[in-house]
Amino acid sequence: MNEFTIFRVSASGMTAQRLRLDVIASNIANSETTRTERGEPYRRRIPIFAEYLIDNAGTSAVRVVRIEEDPSPFRLVYDPSHPDADENGYVRYPNVNVLREMVDLINAQRSYEANVSAFNVTKSMINSALQIGRG
Amino acid sequence: MFNANFQIIKVAMDVAMLRQSVHAQNIANAETPNYQRKYVLFEEFLKEASKVRLATTNERHIASVQSIPRARIEVDKQSFYRNDFNGVDIDYEVSQMVANGLRYEVLSRLMSKNIEYYNTVLRGV
Repeated sequence: MNEFTIFRVSASGMTAQRLRLDVIASNIANSETTRTERGEPYRRRIPIFAEYLIDNAGTSAVRVVRIEEDPSPFRLVYDPSHPDADENGYVRYPNVNVLREMVDLINAQRSYEANVSAFNVTKSMINSALQIGRG
Repeated sequence: MFNANFQIIKVAMDVAMLRQSVHAQNIANAETPNYQRKYVLFEEFLKEASKVRLATTNERHIASVQSIPRARIEVDKQSFYRNDFNGVDIDYEVSQMVANGLRYEVLSRLMSKNIEYYNTVLRGV
């Protein structure tokens, strides 16, 4: 095991969580978007995390394999005056629950911070090893 | 010329660094579905290794060299902390990691002290 691969592990965690924050931000930003380029309302996006090995010793980091769309149904709101209303007067709104996104947001932030503290602990460990023999 | 402390402290520091690597991996994968928590086994082996000794009944017998066991990374298959079968409790992980980091600091100071003693002898102060 190489001491410096630990930095890569923590960095991968930070990258993954930051990407998750980006996805959550776009979900919240588009929580009322009824029109996308595909002609349907915005679909909630979910990053899929997976473990992946970064060396032969079995050290595993994390990465985002892909960003999937939430297949759950859209929110139907009765509003006949809306330009996107269907023939029955219902408007399809994105399947984004802002409350849930906020919970995920805090979760991602905490997780990011945990990775940062892992990074800092590794750094101070290597620093203290460097102090050996300096008197 | 060097006493056994150097070897023992070195091994202990290596184990602490390995633990740090495992903590970092667990924290990075704290939100990965099906990830199983890892941990390092070492002290248990040390206890076992110090138990077994060859008996020396004659002064010409050679005492067994106390070998220092190797640390091993184990996968915790029992604990599932979340309903996506992830086994990482992030609070536990972070607290253990900080404690381990401090232990490493203590060990590196011990190492420095050991070197200082030799310096003292060499300088003849």
